[in-house]
Amino acid sequence: MTAPAGEPAIEASGVVKSFGSVQALRGVDLTVRTGMLAALLGPNGAGKTTLVRILATLLRQDSGSVRVLGHDVATHPYAVRSVIGLTGQYAGLDEALRGRDNLILIGRLAGLGRQEASQRAIELAERFGLAEAAGRAVRTYSGGMRRRLDLAASLMNRPALLILDEPSTGLDPGSRVELWAALRELRDAGATMLLTTQYLEEADRFADAVHVLDHGVIIATGTASELKTRTGTQVVDVLLAGQDAAAAKAALTARLAPADLHVDEASRRLAIVARDGLGTLLAAARVLSDSRIEVADIALRQPSLDEAFLALTSGQQPSGGPSSGGPPSGGGPAGTRSPGPQRSGARR
Amino acid sequence: MTGASVTSARAGRLDGGRRERPGPGRLARDSLLIAGRYLRILRGNPARLIYPLLQPVLILVLFVSVMENLASSVAGGAYRELLIPGIMIQNVVLTAPVTGLAIVRDADTGLADRFRSLPMSRGAVLIGRSLSDTVVFFTQALVMIGVAYLLGFHVRTGLAGIAGLVVVAVGFGTALGVTCAWLALLIGDVETAERALFFPFIPLAFVSSAYAPVGRLAGWLQPVARVNPVSSAVGVVRGLAEGGSLAPAVIHLAAWTLVLAVVPGVLAVRRWQSSP
Repeated sequence: MTAPAGEPAIEASGVVKSFGSVQALRGVDLTVRTGMLAALLGPNGAGKTTLVRILATLLRQDSGSVRVLGHDVATHPYAVRSVIGLTGQYAGLDEALRGRDNLILIGRLAGLGRQEASQRAIELAERFGLAEAAGRAVRTYSGGMRRRLDLAASLMNRPALLILDEPSTGLDPGSRVELWAALRELRDAGATMLLTTQYLEEADRFADAVHVLDHGVIIATGTASELKTRTGTQVVDVLLAGQDAAAAKAALTARLAPADLHVDEASRRLAIVARDGLGTLLAAARVLSDSRIEVADIALRQPSLDEAFLALTSGQQPSGGPSSGGPPSGGGPAGTRSPGPQRSGARR
Repeated sequence: MTGASVTSARAGRLDGGRRERPGPGRLARDSLLIAGRYLRILRGNPARLIYPLLQPVLILVLFVSVMENLASSVAGGAYRELLIPGIMIQNVVLTAPVTGLAIVRDADTGLADRFRSLPMSRGAVLIGRSLSDTVVFFTQALVMIGVAYLLGFHVRTGLAGIAGLVVVAVGFGTALGVTCAWLALLIGDVETAERALFFPFIPLAFVSSAYAPVGRLAGWLQPVARVNPVSSAVGVVRGLAEGGSLAPAVIHLAAWTLVLAVVPGVLAVRRWQSSP
């Protein structure tokens, strides 16, 4: 999409916002270039929605500056509103009106003329597979249809930046796939988007850039794979052929620091932090082979984004200062976290 | 559908993306669009119009039947001549909170966030809703005049008087509705507003000349009843019905209507836009 001469789509610096004594944002720095699909990833309560509401001019920040496509959100909110589309957490639709009437109303309030609004409503309803449903009241729609209509409504005035706040929350898997398809299509068409999500998978699949927000600060920025590598070392994943997990553990512990090894006996999986990369793999293979422990699979892999995310968001307490340069290489404290039930993530 | 039409760096058509606050033309246009939205909903749910029309019929008939004999024996003369204008205005007063409830109910929906994120005029939601409510006040006024006629209440000033009566009911009702919108947004919570919003209107309706001449009220109520806009509205309606002099009551009422529409109106719009 054409950007006003290299102007970033979003440029936020030092954004602070408090609600009473609760500091929701403690100095957020965020830059999203045009043509990018940026994901704002963070656990519940990280401040994602607060940041989105400031970007969309629904809230005013306490301090710091925010520019959206070159317009200051605090001093030129109307200019910002005329170039963004917002798909909030709750559908911005009138349940009692028909789908088509929703689109037309929202398009006209966004500034389109009567003809243009109806024309575009037809186009977008078709595009999002709602041509048939467009004549029915929104209250008869399924969750997935509602989301798609909401997305269509946000696109009525051809926004230069689309902001989506947890677009897939509350959708069943089928509807989520439909929504993703729609978003992917938009991305391929060159739209600039910022989406918040708590699903790592979503950020991993779509985003050109992932910004991790935690306790009101951006603690890491990069592509999904950069984040994974940055969080630390790779992992040696071992799947045992037999039931002798305890024996494998004993054999490996003799050579490894205990925090570097995680054993999930039920699934017969071991995860070993690969401090020496391939060297760790070879060493582990030798130990297992020497101890005559049968192995079904052994592999060196990147940490999953889940693991990267947990490593990023747990260990560190926000100091208040922005640190978009990534986490300190020390990572989280060793051995203080109990790994998730399925992912036997051995993190440092 | 081609990709190019999905998004664009261009803004909405009217402004080229640089426009500052929308002007009065845009306010009128956006308000009409919002009013259209509510009227469309009303058309789809005719029951929402039926109850506001039944309410004055019931109240008029019941009040007159129950009070007439008693009141006339005490006060002498035709009490209904006095009572009916009072009930008409009381009915307007009791209908106004609906506007407030509708606004506060809409305020924390996703749709409200959508509206707040659009480059529309920010007074449009309140003005649009009020415009759509004038339709309710208007039909209510016609029904009341009709029922009152059947009960023997005649507007002696003819069509002009009837038109005046309608204007009073619609204007005063709308101004009170705007006030309710502000109060409801101040309360902020739908359920609390549902319970609380009627309270200011109970004394407003009763400490007035609606049921008795101000001179017959308890002494300490009289100054309150005299400045109460309900008294002036009732006074205007009685004046229109009997053909007497209107001047002081009309000025008093016009001033009140303007103040009640403008001051809470501005505050309500501000509150609406900044609702979290």
